[in-house]
Amino acid sequence: MKIVTKAFLRYLLRRRSLSVLQLLGIACGVAAVIGMGLSAQSALSSFSKAVEFLRGSSTHLIERPAGPIDEMVLAELIRDPSVDFFAPVVDRRVRLADSEAVRVLGIDPFLDRVVRPEISSAYFAERGRSARDEPFSFFTDERSVMVDSNLAAQLKLQPGSRLETSQGVFNVTGTFPNPSGEPLILMDILNAQKIFDLKGSVDRIDLIINDEAAFRSRWEKGFRIESKRQRQETLTALLYAFKLNLQALSLLALFVGTFLIYNTAMFTVVSRRRDAGVLRSLGARRYEVVAAFLTEIFFFGILGGALGAVFGHILSRFLTEIVGSTISTLYFFLKPSPQPWSLLTLAAGIALGCIASLLGCIAPLIELILTEPVKAIRGRVAYKGGRRKAGKIALTGTGILCAAAAFLLFSFYHVYVGYAGTFIFLLGVSLFTGLTVMFFTPLLKWLFSKIGGIQGKLAVANIRKNMGRTAVAIAAFMVALSMSIGLGSMIESFRHSLIWWMNSQLKGELYVSTRGDADVPEDFYEELKRVPGIGGIDTYRNVQVTYRGTPVYITAIDASILQRFTQFGWVSGGNENWEPVKQGSVIISESFSRRFNVKKGDAVAIEGIEETVRFPVTAIFYDYTTEHGLIMMDRSTYIRHFMDRTINSLGVFVDPKYPEREKVIAEVKRRAQGRNLPIATRSELHDTILSVFDNTFAVTRSMRVLAIIVAFFGIAGALMTLFVERRREFGIYRALGFSVRQIAGMTLFEGIGMGLVSFLMSTGVGTALAMILIKVINLRSFNWTIFYHFTLDPYLLAGITAIAASIGASIYPIWKVYRTYPQIQIREE
Amino acid sequence: MSKKAKNDELNLNTLLAPVSGCPAQTRSFRSSGSNRSGSASELLLTQMNKLPRLTTVRPGRPDTGTRAHDKSGIKYEASSAKNLCRILVLLILAVLFCAASVSGADWKQAIGERAWSFPGDHGSHPEYRTEWWYFTGNLSDKDGNRYGYQLTFFRHGIEKTPKDPGNLWSIRDIYLAHFTVTDAAGKRFWYNERVSRKGPGLAFSDTKGLNVWVLNWSARMVRSTIRLTARQKDLEVDLELVPQKPPVLHGRKGLSKKGPGEGQSSYYYSFTDLRTTGTIRTPLSKQPVRVTGTSWFDQEFGSNQLSTDQAGWDWFSLHLSDGRDLMVYFLRRKDGTIEQASSGTIVEKNGASRHLRLSDITVDILGQWKSPKSGGTYPARWRIRIPPAGIDLTISPYIPDQELITEGSTGVTYWEGAIGGSGTSMGQGVTSEGYVELTGYAGTIGGIF
Amino acid sequence: MQPIIRVADLWKYYGDDEQGEPALRGTNLEVAAGDIIALFGKSGSGKTTLLNIIAGLDRPTRGRIEIEGQDLEALGEQGRTELRRTRLGFVFQFFNLLPTLTAFENVFLSLELAGLPDPAAAGAALTSVGLAGKEGRYPHELSGGEQQRVAIARALVKRPSIILADEPTGNLDTHTGTHILDLLVDQCRLAQTTLIMVSHAMITCRYAQRILQMEDGIIMEDRPCEAPGP
Repeated sequence: MKIVTKAFLRYLLRRRSLSVLQLLGIACGVAAVIGMGLSAQSALSSFSKAVEFLRGSSTHLIERPAGPIDEMVLAELIRDPSVDFFAPVVDRRVRLADSEAVRVLGIDPFLDRVVRPEISSAYFAERGRSARDEPFSFFTDERSVMVDSNLAAQLKLQPGSRLETSQGVFNVTGTFPNPSGEPLILMDILNAQKIFDLKGSVDRIDLIINDEAAFRSRWEKGFRIESKRQRQETLTALLYAFKLNLQALSLLALFVGTFLIYNTAMFTVVSRRRDAGVLRSLGARRYEVVAAFLTEIFFFGILGGALGAVFGHILSRFLTEIVGSTISTLYFFLKPSPQPWSLLTLAAGIALGCIASLLGCIAPLIELILTEPVKAIRGRVAYKGGRRKAGKIALTGTGILCAAAAFLLFSFYHVYVGYAGTFIFLLGVSLFTGLTVMFFTPLLKWLFSKIGGIQGKLAVANIRKNMGRTAVAIAAFMVALSMSIGLGSMIESFRHSLIWWMNSQLKGELYVSTRGDADVPEDFYEELKRVPGIGGIDTYRNVQVTYRGTPVYITAIDASILQRFTQFGWVSGGNENWEPVKQGSVIISESFSRRFNVKKGDAVAIEGIEETVRFPVTAIFYDYTTEHGLIMMDRSTYIRHFMDRTINSLGVFVDPKYPEREKVIAEVKRRAQGRNLPIATRSELHDTILSVFDNTFAVTRSMRVLAIIVAFFGIAGALMTLFVERRREFGIYRALGFSVRQIAGMTLFEGIGMGLVSFLMSTGVGTALAMILIKVINLRSFNWTIFYHFTLDPYLLAGITAIAASIGASIYPIWKVYRTYPQIQIREE
Repeated sequence: MSKKAKNDELNLNTLLAPVSGCPAQTRSFRSSGSNRSGSASELLLTQMNKLPRLTTVRPGRPDTGTRAHDKSGIKYEASSAKNLCRILVLLILAVLFCAASVSGADWKQAIGERAWSFPGDHGSHPEYRTEWWYFTGNLSDKDGNRYGYQLTFFRHGIEKTPKDPGNLWSIRDIYLAHFTVTDAAGKRFWYNERVSRKGPGLAFSDTKGLNVWVLNWSARMVRSTIRLTARQKDLEVDLELVPQKPPVLHGRKGLSKKGPGEGQSSYYYSFTDLRTTGTIRTPLSKQPVRVTGTSWFDQEFGSNQLSTDQAGWDWFSLHLSDGRDLMVYFLRRKDGTIEQASSGTIVEKNGASRHLRLSDITVDILGQWKSPKSGGTYPARWRIRIPPAGIDLTISPYIPDQELITEGSTGVTYWEGAIGGSGTSMGQGVTSEGYVELTGYAGTIGGIF
Repeated sequence: MQPIIRVADLWKYYGDDEQGEPALRGTNLEVAAGDIIALFGKSGSGKTTLLNIIAGLDRPTRGRIEIEGQDLEALGEQGRTELRRTRLGFVFQFFNLLPTLTAFENVFLSLELAGLPDPAAAGAALTSVGLAGKEGRYPHELSGGEQQRVAIARALVKRPSIILADEPTGNLDTHTGTHILDLLVDQCRLAQTTLIMVSHAMITCRYAQRILQMEDGIIMEDRPCEAPGP
């Protein structure tokens, strides 16, 4: 190794504590990205594995546009020459005791053998082993199920165990291997029909087809035929917004991480300017000096990246859990298995570490190359140029902000553009850090001299003087805090909008069977209507259909009931909007309207059971139930066109004039319990929805925490840097009569000062970010309007975080001050 | 036998242990019957050899275990044809039998002579537990290329009265089917199997006449013509079968006795000579090929268990060019001997049939074929001499590999294939074609264990 | 004989434009090979600037420098670097040793850059400055004088034709300073190396063949050594 390189690398050992901080900083940055990326990947790959596994070798599926399909279709399918094989499926869900919804597949093991050989061979093998007592229990015992081995292991189930579910107790007769992350319960189709009250129909039929065109020509009418690829696309579309969200969070982690690494790399270069000068005076070429720097930086990058990959891998195990639970809450139950450790992860971590390090050191390196050696040899210089330079940088920032604005304006093109705009915005804003520091200097000086006297004042001066160093750390921390505030404000606003929405739409006293795993028998609905004191009952049926090739939802409700008892959040108009709905028109959700650019007065064409139906759109309403778009129509309209009388749940409204309201509620409850139907009061339903909501943002919240942790290392690294660089200055302070305590106090004030400036800046930037998230990102990815709602919490949280993190980050340097007390000297090394 | 195979058998034994709880009346099914099959159980068995020819390992004492089977198998092999004798099991059926035994009393037993009434008796007899319709045939196209096919439907009752009769998915019977095609010129053999419950029109057997299907494999008799259709991807047959002789009732007017117990019998008859026309489509031909030839049809039903001490059997059905048809059947016992009840039937050109006893028949095995897939060694060329009928034939398979290794549901390996040969009949030179079924030669039990 | 260093009409302004007081205002100088020169001047008189420019570490605003007949400006960055590697040695007031390298490595670094990676030479150089046995020490483990010895060894080891010393004793006590000067001058004489020493210390006079005085960016005529410096 060249001696020059050796000289640089030895710094790493010499300044161990700093090196460790820097390494941890890089590692955390990389870990955030890798962790998020890996868990997103696990979720998505588990998802496609689950889809793949469930689909087996089927090439297509056939179903009704809405609701179940009559099983007699099977007899006709047998005779179709394009059909090589088929397997009817009842695809439902039950809730386990821990309230997780698990997919239940009702299959015919004989037919399924061809389509899903893994499952049925496991089934037959199981028969082989456990045939002893009840060889036919799977068919004859209507409570008999098979459970996939992962779920069985998780719930400690064995053949013979009993499994409590929302549909009663199941008897586990066996287990089967399931390579996908989606827990699965299997039962005979007969039993599934009984349990889910589906006599004579199934949910869909998986097909192996040899001639798609011929098949479609015969079966298109009244059915929906979906190829393997379409299926995958549909399901991918379902997760699109979610995937986007995960990607954005990964990018956020990358952004903060890069900032931090930049901080580290820059310090490396800046603190070695003098050495560079000496080397140049000895005749070292520029590139030799640069190479020595790069070696050091890459050393950091590689080591930090590798460490980050390991951290990230560990982190992904936690995040995967969270992501999985979010997907489970929002879409379908999925237990993604974390990605196994692979060298690819390591490579990705190292690459990330190196690239980010390189990005971080480019600017200072270029500056160094352009500097005459003699300037470099003078080593660290106080931040010169002051206001002018800060102004210049801020000017660049202004330019970047303009670019960000342009990106945000063009975000209608694709939400990625919006994301780009957001990050550019953050970058632009961070360039204002210098100016902000200078702006806040007088305030801080006043404040700190009040509190901390001379060392407080000096601390502020130090921050100001070392702005080259401090500004980057402040910017990194500021970005992290802004993220925290922005995401927090967005979530709070969203939550507030959701509550408003619930209060406008979900006004029933009681809700029957809202959990989505049990339908309401129609006769129960009729029965309830006759209970005295009932003002009205809204029937709710929600079904996924395809509109312009993408999944959307149709909700069938009772328009006259909703008109009487609710006050929807209409984009325009009021409850008179319901009138045409009673006549067969539909109302659409804002997300539908934005997604497909459908306006009031347009018509939406949906494949009905007989023909394509064009529904006139009479109004648009705010809705947060699905980002995919919702078409709401009256139950009568729905039954007419889709011949599906299923009722998913009921909303019960008590007649406001009826004197004994409590009695009515009690009566409905009693009857529902008699039917074994779950029941929820309005506030229970609202709570459930809110808890779903909160669960949804679990990933986002964890990313907030991660960003703060990363930034913490940023601040700590920056303080450490300042400390290392200013050892000599400390000597001077000592010479001037400062006590070690005062120096420690100064260090602390520097930390707090930086945290404070970061925080003050982030209040503005965070609010702006919240607005961007609400008005651009959410609108673009989910197509719904969130109403900005100010809450103090995110700001308080950010403030506390800022102060706590900066104090925490100061602890180590302060300890160093105390420890190195005897060595403090004016003389240079 | 490999260690693996032994383990498999052990598994099987364990699996079948409950079978020992089944009524013990069962005896080796083909042992006493004078015809190809026996009681319902045997029926089943035969069926199994026909379909997934399952067989033996029966009830009996689980503790005597595999080893005994094994050993005796080897003995037999040593003494007779050096063929490895294995126990074949059709898993589903095996399980079914036992399950059925629980409620076996519900099912009508094959007792006493039956008043046959055709075409009604071509249909299903759901009061009996087990029933099958079995078609094999030898066909050729206009260029003289020879084909063979097998299409078999099998019904097995699970519960005489289903628990939930209102729901079409309730299981009363399980239907199985096997479908094979042999292309002698192309030297290819394709086989498929299916299992289904009745469901909403998935499988069916009419009680009024021959009308049975399992998904899109079907056999229907309209007036005196039987239409067979089956398609599995590129493999397809569409055939019309017209009986040239009246049904041949085996045993005592169709009652084929299997054991000493009451009801250890089955009802069994055959159409031995069915003129066959139609088309065959194979993955090689791509397009349907017009074919003509002769088919053989067996139907058998009963309710009883089979017990068994046999290891497998060799069964021959032959059409002679002089218009005579021959069925010969050997049951190989586990102890290595040939069951004395092994027998045959000769059907004259005019439809008259005559029972043949074991002592009337001599079969020499002239060649063998070792399956590269299952490792089983099968007889592959025979000389059959029946002096009382004036028959001396040498026959061999169209192609050596007509072995079925059923992995999906059954996991049973057996050989069932089209054969042809020549010789003399009543002193005249004749050619012959037909089918041979060989069970118990390969112990491979599919991938399901 | 051609002068080894020729400086003609050298101007140097700091800052982006020619505003303010220049550090050098038309300096002229010629140095013969093997000369040992002491350059005196007040703080801020332009001594260090001149030295840096001669070394090619800084660039003049105007004027011409020739080293061994070569125009520094014309040499370009590459050429100047090459010159520093092989022809020039530098000794600083603050030693400027690389803190993470041992004494030996600091010296060897110089050889390595000059393209003569000969460990024996590095060892010999350290021995010649009286640091035998301390090769493995890091700068912070050495006294100031020892550090400056390392710096001298580092400058001499590559056998340059010129050594530029910027206040070589400025950071040392008189006693040590004398030793250092003894050493530096002896070594230069021995190797026939041209030596320019910038100094405050009058004692430097004793060693110099030629004494220059710098005032406000201009080199005044040679003065006798006895003349008191500032």
